[in-house]
Amino acid sequence: MNSAANSLVRPRSLAAFWRKYTAIAQTSYATTTAYLFNLLASALKPAIFIWIFVQLYGATYKASGLAEINGLSLAMVVWTLGLTQAFHMASRPLPAILIEEEVKSGSLAYSLIRPYSYALFHYFNFLGRAFPTLIANGLISVLVLLLLVGTIHLTIPGIVFGLVLLFFGYTMEFSISLIIGLMAFWIEDTSALRWIYSKGQLIFGGMIVPLALFPEKIRNIAELLPFSQFYYAPAQLMISFDIKLFERFALIQFFWLTVFSIISYLCYKKGIRHVAINGG
Amino acid sequence: MWLSTAGKYLKLSWQMIKANILSAMEYRVSFLMQVIGMVVNDVGILLVWVIFFARFPEVNGWELRDTILLFSFMTINYPLVMVVAAGSRRIARAVLRGELDYYLSFPKNVLWHISVSKTDISAIGDLIFGFLLFIFLVHISLTQTLLFAGLVIISAWIIYSFIVIVQSLAFYVANFEDGAEQAFQSMLAFSFYPQNVFHGLLKLVMIAVVPAFFIITVPINLIRQFNFNSLLLLFGFALLAWILALTLFKRGLKRYESGNLINLNM
Repeated sequence: MNSAANSLVRPRSLAAFWRKYTAIAQTSYATTTAYLFNLLASALKPAIFIWIFVQLYGATYKASGLAEINGLSLAMVVWTLGLTQAFHMASRPLPAILIEEEVKSGSLAYSLIRPYSYALFHYFNFLGRAFPTLIANGLISVLVLLLLVGTIHLTIPGIVFGLVLLFFGYTMEFSISLIIGLMAFWIEDTSALRWIYSKGQLIFGGMIVPLALFPEKIRNIAELLPFSQFYYAPAQLMISFDIKLFERFALIQFFWLTVFSIISYLCYKKGIRHVAINGG
Repeated sequence: MWLSTAGKYLKLSWQMIKANILSAMEYRVSFLMQVIGMVVNDVGILLVWVIFFARFPEVNGWELRDTILLFSFMTINYPLVMVVAAGSRRIARAVLRGELDYYLSFPKNVLWHISVSKTDISAIGDLIFGFLLFIFLVHISLTQTLLFAGLVIISAWIIYSFIVIVQSLAFYVANFEDGAEQAFQSMLAFSFYPQNVFHGLLKLVMIAVVPAFFIITVPINLIRQFNFNSLLLLFGFALLAWILALTLFKRGLKRYESGNLINLNM
């Protein structure tokens, strides 16, 4: 095939690629939105956490007698934590659970004979599921935040750049989830890995205590770890936008995304050798 | 008569739990990973609060030592239920799929049988963590220790009743598997926060909707400062929750429709 023909085929194949994977995302989107009551009920979970944070940090700020701690007002703390929880919960259940089941049951072999990439199938499936949950969580959380702590100064660039970080945050979450799920090739049960990973997020991901309130040394380390980059970094950027902060977070995300992509690729390549397919 | 029956059930429960644990231990790596993983998990949650109290040493009179006491309490009472009766969390699922047929074919109490049919192995990790925390970091008097032990039992009893209540709703509404699990998770959501910061409507939710107030707040306050009326209130609530759980399950069981499922449990 000559180069002219190539240039014609490539965009078409790219379009086919896009159509195929967006169709996968659309399918999981439709499945999630089909159970609207379930979707709204799950969005109440971050709302409960926001309510708890309002009372916890309300009492904490009152006890300290300060209006701002490390540059954060009570409203900023609750908004940051509320958004972090809303973003985080939209990614649950982790794709690692599904991938582990497929590895353990052997149904992964079924996916392998299909004309799509196993990792990309799960990635778009995850995005299609997370998107409507994110919308529901976001809307209900913002409503509860407005009701309980009032308005906060949000900027358009803060929201836009925050959403960019959030997209890569979900991509990072998926990469790690893929690694954990594929670990089922070597260990029988990956639930312990999932708990430890979740606790990494809980401690260093600013889910209960904002990193801005951490002791300085721990904060500096926590900001470089991947855990804070999933959902805390986007939430922080939305609340207090700074382009330099965006550049810093984007760089850290890029580093970790590269690392996790390489590890997940190697896990997949090695793990796939364990798959035995029997006819019938 | 009833004493000998209770004794028989206790003996049988012990055998069932032993069998559940021994069967899980067949997969040693998985068993150890679940137990050790849960200990690491609990250390992680506690670490968050160590960081919090390093920044704010006291909130409404609540300090890190109170949170350690709370953690020790919650990582003993809830796992106790999960070691002895984790099967209770599968009632709604069993009702939906007609899986209760298996338990109905035995001459033993159905609720007891399904409850002890499963042991949550990771809960053993919680128990280890809870006991270690209690031994090394909880400094209370001997009387308070005895009170702690008694309250763990009452609190575990309420947790179990709450699980049976929400799971038994599956007999009355078609599918309550997710709903029952969400209710249980909501109860746990309140578990690891300083208990004296909650007030207003949220406290009402903790009392009336998810009984976190009786499972955590009242027992912890009793250990910190004993009050006979609170103890009586707690015991009364536990009894009421138990009666409600038994009534809902028994009446629900009469509504149960067999799934005509032939299943072999080994």
